[in-house]
Amino acid sequence: MSEIDLFGLRRQFHHGQILLCFNGPISRGLIEEIGNALRNYLEADNTLPGAAMDVFAIYIELTQNIRHYVTRMGYDDRDGSATVVVARNDQGRHVIMSGNLTQPEDAVRLQQRVAELAAMDKTELKAAYKAQLRQPRTRSALSGAGLGLVDVARKSVEPLQAQVSVIPDDERVLFSLRAVV
Amino acid sequence: MMTKDLDIPATQSTPAIRSEWARGRLYMDGNSYPENSFEFFTEVFDWIQAHLSTTDGPLHLELGLIYMNTSSVKAMMDIFDMLEEAWADTRDIAVNWYYDPRNERVMEMAEEFREDYTFPFHILPTPREAP
Repeated sequence: MSEIDLFGLRRQFHHGQILLCFNGPISRGLIEEIGNALRNYLEADNTLPGAAMDVFAIYIELTQNIRHYVTRMGYDDRDGSATVVVARNDQGRHVIMSGNLTQPEDAVRLQQRVAELAAMDKTELKAAYKAQLRQPRTRSALSGAGLGLVDVARKSVEPLQAQVSVIPDDERVLFSLRAVV
Repeated sequence: MMTKDLDIPATQSTPAIRSEWARGRLYMDGNSYPENSFEFFTEVFDWIQAHLSTTDGPLHLELGLIYMNTSSVKAMMDIFDMLEEAWADTRDIAVNWYYDPRNERVMEMAEEFREDYTFPFHILPTPREAP
């Protein structure tokens, strides 16, 4: 077992202005509890109600998307682990990042969808959102890149970013998303 | 036929829901972000469906919904679609959505809903509490 550098880890949290970080299997209850903590931090930090709701909304959509994916794929706790980070940046905005294991083909598909959304302006994103809203429920659920992703893209003030990282000795990849509000 | 009224207490991730069959009122208040919104709102769909198909009185929704996840937004759209159909059928339909003016996001969400419907849809800033 490797030695954990707690001091270094703490310094990195501090340096990255990380408000909240989670890594591990997520349950419905845990999403709600961490969400509560996030709300309390934002309130204590004097974030305006609208901005706090944007951060919370992105956190909920990203984590619930991961939960739905993990359930659909039948991943166990270890494979269904999620990494979630909420941090401040130097402009005083909030950066929300999430990552989870996916099949490589799903990651590629999601990355393409994120690129499409990132290229859209506000009006196009709104049209995409309303179109997605009218999709039959089953189709939307199966795509796995439905309404939640469009909603996050609409809220993000910077184009949504997606990254795919190869994991050694694993057929799956780590798919991660980054939004800023 | 009178369907049993709804009286669902709020939880952290689901709104409080109450109905008055005889008056034709449905109240929903709080946050809504359950993982499976479609399942959660089934009772509401059923109650509205029953009210619309077995009575011809008014049906007004009194909403104090705050944050809604996208699956709740989709469920709400299904509800409004039912109301729109009844409205087209000359039914007395209205939605009143109350919000705290300190949080403009709620108003924006309600306005985005309103764009797609023709029945009376009022978005009302609730009186701000005295400091």
